[in-house]
Amino acid sequence: MIPEQPDAQRLLIAEYVLGLHSREQSAKIEQWLEEDEDAAQLAGHWREHWLGAAELLEPVPLPPRVWREISRQTASADARGRFDWQWLWQSLALWRTISVALLVAVVLLLGPLRVPAPVYTVVLQAPGEAASPGWRVTVSAQGDLQLTPLSESQYPANRSVQFWTLADPALGPRSLGLVQPGEPLVLPASRVGGVESGQLFELTLEPPGGSPADRPTGPVLFIGRAVAL
Amino acid sequence: MDDSRAELEEGNALVRACAGGDRQAFHQLYLNEAPRMLALARRFTGESSLAEDALQDTFIQVWENARRFQSQRGSARTWLFGLLRYRLINQHHRSRRDTFEPLPGDQWPDPGPSPEQCSVEQDQRRAIIDCLQGLQMDRRRPILMAFYQGFTYEQIAETLAVPLGTIKSRVRSGLKGLQECLRL
Repeated sequence: MIPEQPDAQRLLIAEYVLGLHSREQSAKIEQWLEEDEDAAQLAGHWREHWLGAAELLEPVPLPPRVWREISRQTASADARGRFDWQWLWQSLALWRTISVALLVAVVLLLGPLRVPAPVYTVVLQAPGEAASPGWRVTVSAQGDLQLTPLSESQYPANRSVQFWTLADPALGPRSLGLVQPGEPLVLPASRVGGVESGQLFELTLEPPGGSPADRPTGPVLFIGRAVAL
Repeated sequence: MDDSRAELEEGNALVRACAGGDRQAFHQLYLNEAPRMLALARRFTGESSLAEDALQDTFIQVWENARRFQSQRGSARTWLFGLLRYRLINQHHRSRRDTFEPLPGDQWPDPGPSPEQCSVEQDQRRAIIDCLQGLQMDRRRPILMAFYQGFTYEQIAETLAVPLGTIKSRVRSGLKGLQECLRL
């Protein structure tokens, strides 16, 4: 199905981007594009070019009902997300299990930790994405904290990422300051305060300069609970 | 930065904000991009309600998948139109329409300069227009029918009442001309 000659391959991609092939043929081409980075790039170039033709179309007025429906459906999806999130938040056993499993994976992947003998560790991950560790927190025996990025993440340029901890729900969350995306952060014990097993840490997306309140106001980007080593 | 580049950058920033849960950014993205997307969907479906359903589903998909957007692989606008066209092609592609509808590009002179003679603009969105104008009408028209209306080879042949083999040959010749003109 996929020709071997480069010229024929390029033509096939041009036809595919236009949608000229049957569903079955398109599925085979899509599979090929997933495996061949050069072919996928060429398809991307075609799509970027065709945008110019799309821009020749006269914009049409938007019926209000369309946005109402989009808004309603995405809001209800968010609400479902919040429900799941509350369950995750309260499930200490689940967080412990996931954190320990991820820690083992991280240690195996990254080798010996640079922070000497941490006594607590936290793997921060995106809510609902247990297999996606984003940051690691380690707390030394002296109480110093190190926050280390584990993956590259994109954040809106006009927002700030803020680091929080919650030791006692009755006292509420406490800010540990702003985080530069992709950069490690070290905090002295005096700034961190006491850390205990199960203590929650999280990163949230906030307005520029940080949350205007003494609590998180934006969505949770990464979250995890402290596990004693 | 020119206006079109600034528009694309704004779209990229809005999708990144959507990824962070910013509903205001989501609404702004919709206001910016949806009017032309709806125009394309209407061309594909030939029916307003189906077009609106496709637009609606596409934006729900955008909200749910904004975190997967990667600007290094193309602009947010390309991503949005790609999602919409993918949905339209898979759901409405095979609905049969026999009518010969006017399309953008129909009014361009024929024959235009050959694709090789076209000067390729720096802006690649403008380049495709220049290159399409360089195609002869019998090559350009079926390509535009595929892009704007989602027609397959068979549907183009049937609508234009031209043998299938002839249409395939014309489209492929036209696409090769575009490839050369766009340096792809």
